Amino acid sequence: MFRHVFVYRFKYLIRDRELVFWTFVFPVILASFFYMAFFNINKDEAFHPINVAVVYGGEEQYDAPFKAVIEDASKGKDKLFNLKDATSQSDAEQWLKKGRIAGYFTSGETVKLTIKDSELEQSIMKSFADQYRSSRLAVQRIAQDHPDSLKEELLKDIGNRGNYVKETAGGNSEPDSMLNYFYALIAMACFYGSFWGMKEVTDIQADISDRAARVNTAPVHKLLAFIAGSAAALVILFTEMLLLLAYLNFALHISFGNRAGLVILTALTGSVLGLSFGALISAIVKKGAGMKVAILTVATMIGSFLSGMMYMDMKYLIARYVPFLAWLNPVNLLTDAFYALYYYDSLSHYVRTMGMMCIFILLFCTGTYLIVRRRKYAGL
Amino acid sequence: MPVFNLCLKIFRRNWLAVFIYVAIFVAISVTIAITSVHDQSSGNGFTQQKAKIAFISEEKTPLTEGFRQELAKHADFVSIPDSKEQLQDALFFRQVTYVLRIPKGFTKNILDGGTMQIEKTIVPESVENAYIDIDVQQYWNLARLYVRHDPGLTQEQLTERLRQNLDGDTPVRMNVHEHAKTKDSFSMYYFNFLSYALSAILIMGISTVMIVFNKQDLRRRIFCSPSSPLKVNLQIILADLLFAAVALVALVGFCFLLDAKSFTTPNMPYFLVNAVAFTACITSLSFLVGNLLNNLSAMSGVCNILTLGPSFISGVFVPQEFLNDTVLKIASFTPTYWYVQANTKIAKLTDFDWQNLRPVFTSTLILLTFTAAFAALSLVVGKRKRLME
Repeated sequence: MFRHVFVYRFKYLIRDRELVFWTFVFPVILASFFYMAFFNINKDEAFHPINVAVVYGGEEQYDAPFKAVIEDASKGKDKLFNLKDATSQSDAEQWLKKGRIAGYFTSGETVKLTIKDSELEQSIMKSFADQYRSSRLAVQRIAQDHPDSLKEELLKDIGNRGNYVKETAGGNSEPDSMLNYFYALIAMACFYGSFWGMKEVTDIQADISDRAARVNTAPVHKLLAFIAGSAAALVILFTEMLLLLAYLNFALHISFGNRAGLVILTALTGSVLGLSFGALISAIVKKGAGMKVAILTVATMIGSFLSGMMYMDMKYLIARYVPFLAWLNPVNLLTDAFYALYYYDSLSHYVRTMGMMCIFILLFCTGTYLIVRRRKYAGL
Repeated sequence: MPVFNLCLKIFRRNWLAVFIYVAIFVAISVTIAITSVHDQSSGNGFTQQKAKIAFISEEKTPLTEGFRQELAKHADFVSIPDSKEQLQDALFFRQVTYVLRIPKGFTKNILDGGTMQIEKTIVPESVENAYIDIDVQQYWNLARLYVRHDPGLTQEQLTERLRQNLDGDTPVRMNVHEHAKTKDSFSMYYFNFLSYALSAILIMGISTVMIVFNKQDLRRRIFCSPSSPLKVNLQIILADLLFAAVALVALVGFCFLLDAKSFTTPNMPYFLVNAVAFTACITSLSFLVGNLLNNLSAMSGVCNILTLGPSFISGVFVPQEFLNDTVLKIASFTPTYWYVQANTKIAKLTDFDWQNLRPVFTSTLILLTFTAAFAALSLVVGKRKRLME
């Protein structure tokens, strides 16, 4: 009997093209848009040299060294600046006003900086000027204390900078925040799977749908019919999730870390979580299908929003100010589980989120069971 | 006007779906307003950003202490226990963006002219890290310079020299009057996001009406009524335009509530003109969608893709300067791209002469061209559909 119900539920569910669209096609399309939007963000080309100008004060002793340094910074492949030579201050003012340069330096005893915005480009310009100033002071001090030291050597040394910092990985992987968008997207797809769960509960309550009335007259235990139907829904949803994971990993090259087995286990847990969530909402809300869909959509959207799918910083804001909310949002738990697998070496964070998800699944299933069980219908 | 009234009735029936979009939109906008907009009140001076870092030193020497004090100028230190898990957590939740570790024996190595390095673990693409790097490099490069050319210095003297050299600041003059108040303001972000909410609401609302009117039975009923097809169509168009106008006014109204300051800037009228042009464009696009589709459930999918897609690739969610050139080329075939272009340019305007306004008007003109194209297409499609029956 289980097989019979399973097979027919499967056929019935898979023919619902609209649901297949929302749980599979839509996430795939959205992932492609994400990919296009975030394509460049992590690449080094994102840094473009800054357009700057220099106005020389006219005192050779101050102008010449600054000129040498800034021209050096505006040369070569990794240049910091695109240098424009201004013949007068009014030139530079005009350029600045029109936005052709980010700011300009005025050389003199102390180098001055003129800008109109306070952004990253300007901060880099200021750091450059600061660096020049402190280096010059150091050279002066050494020359003053040791008049005999070779000036040539000193200047050569100051230009010949050493590298005193090296990057080491904190763990297996870099904390790449772009990935969170994709993980949240998978979580959203799992929670769109709640539509399948909703359908299962609708089709088991005889006062809600005609199909359920037919199922209720059949000589099958209600729980068995429900479990068979839910198994069919789970098979469909889980397959969709695997295809989505495959698309993300192989077509879009989104990294999931190197624990493939656990990633798949997480996808399975996520599918069950989504299904049971939909079942519970469908059991609680007695009003029409429209209301159920609206509640599921809104809950999924709010959950995804809070786990950073639309706006990354949202996740950090929550982790910082209302940390308990992160643990109460199942969409966020699922997102975190994927991230934990990618990011942490140890599994403790992963196990915690998975444990919390299992508690949610238990809660949703028990709730659904208590509401749906032992319903008898005197008349329909 | 029975047709007009029917249209309004359909709009009223769909208020929930529309309300969801408005709610989500306003929630996102408020979050953005709180977090990503630069503090405008301190906009009169130059502010250097500070990075949050974890400073871990495996040795404590006068030189590393001096280094710590210098770094404090551009960084806020967050104390985190030195365990791998905790540090990873801190980076993950952005409690810090930079973990700096001075290895044991570093000072001695530098004093001996060695090339030992400080270790850092960072969150990639977090911009503040660039300063920390510059500070670190500058401090130890100067230290090396002194070591090589003034080898007689004690460590304390060296620390003091470095402190003197690194003291002080480059004078910065800020041409505040040239800084457009709306640049990177809440209003600019809001008007960009508006394109998403507005397209979702309009496509959903208007195409719902069109789908209802394209039902065969209803159309036949209207055909046998004593009002001419022209009159019927005009009533539908009127109702749709009213809906579009209400949606636009409501969304712009929220902007007024959240950021009333921007409404007094000379940039605001241009934002509004641009928004009106975009509304017109999306209204005619919704007409087209409504004429092409036959059932409501397909519409929800099409609507989501038509609104989210262009928003992602045209710079509504991720600013255009971060997008790939090929993606932007594709995006330029959508009206959203031109709307965002115009907005970004308007936000930066400080001089309102023809030379500066021309690019803005070009973008707006392209929006209007899109409007005409969609309108013409939907007329053709509508006519064809009627003839096919």
